[in-house]
Amino acid sequence: MTAEGSLPELDPVIHAQARLRVVSALNTLADGNEMAFPALKELLGMTAGNLSVHLTKLEDAGYVQITKTHKGRTPVTYVSLTKRGRLAFDDYTRAIRALLDTAGGN
Amino acid sequence: MVDESERAPSPEETLRLIERQRADTVRQLRGNPLLQYVPWGVAWAIGFTAYFLHYGLDGTPYAPITEAQALATLMGAQLVAGAVAAYGITKQSAQTRGDNSARGTMYGYTWFAGFLLMSVIAIRISPMLPPAEAGLVWAGASLLVVGILYMAGGAIWLDWRMFFVGAWVVAVDASGVLLGPGWHALLTAVLLGGGFIAAGLWFRRRP
Repeated sequence: MTAEGSLPELDPVIHAQARLRVVSALNTLADGNEMAFPALKELLGMTAGNLSVHLTKLEDAGYVQITKTHKGRTPVTYVSLTKRGRLAFDDYTRAIRALLDTAGGN
Repeated sequence: MVDESERAPSPEETLRLIERQRADTVRQLRGNPLLQYVPWGVAWAIGFTAYFLHYGLDGTPYAPITEAQALATLMGAQLVAGAVAAYGITKQSAQTRGDNSARGTMYGYTWFAGFLLMSVIAIRISPMLPPAEAGLVWAGASLLVVGILYMAGGAIWLDWRMFFVGAWVVAVDASGVLLGPGWHALLTAVLLGGGFIAAGLWFRRRP
């Protein structure tokens, strides 16, 4: 919550456009679902290296959970938004809407 | 990384970006409509045209196609459609893990159970009927399973288009069964065969 009259702070972890797209995509999945790394990569059109860097930043902030496992003998990585990540995304969109209202109100 | 030096987007742009990403994600997770609808449309258009030519509208065949040939045509086309659809479903379900995949698995078994029970009923009933009416029981009951499971799929994934496709199948099937074997084959070939092809192409263009 921000004090009355002041602009809301935007979460810098989510505000970077690439990470905002990652979080928006993962937020589309209902709670209890994880997305496979290759599917997320294809969806976002990022390179594996680039996506990994962003996912690590999001994981460090506690916003995503990365699970490495095996399907048969093939290693598979699944990514999901944590509760904290969902909250942060909700706060972020609320802050953006508030900014928009402020801009529209003037 | 490049993202830190990007020009800060306006709030409007940011909201649009979020919304576009959400829509793209929903579309990708839903799978490719060309693989889901078009193969069945093609199979029914071919298979039920064969049946239509075999039955004729007034009971006189329009072409020298036997019941066995019509059945083989329909089954062969449906096998190909099933293989293409299975490829699409496998690709689609590999994208996520969790409640979504559990839903998909249960839904898959529901199809299997539906067709199994339908076959048991038809095998029991059809020997008591004239051949054309027996064929109508098979075709009509199969499409009952298809229509209802599409409607149920719409409910499971909150997908109105899938729900309406199911309702369309139910409506065409009901009309065809009321009108008789020849009409049922004609309506299924044109309205469901053509309908599924059109739906697949349309859903692809307007996700």
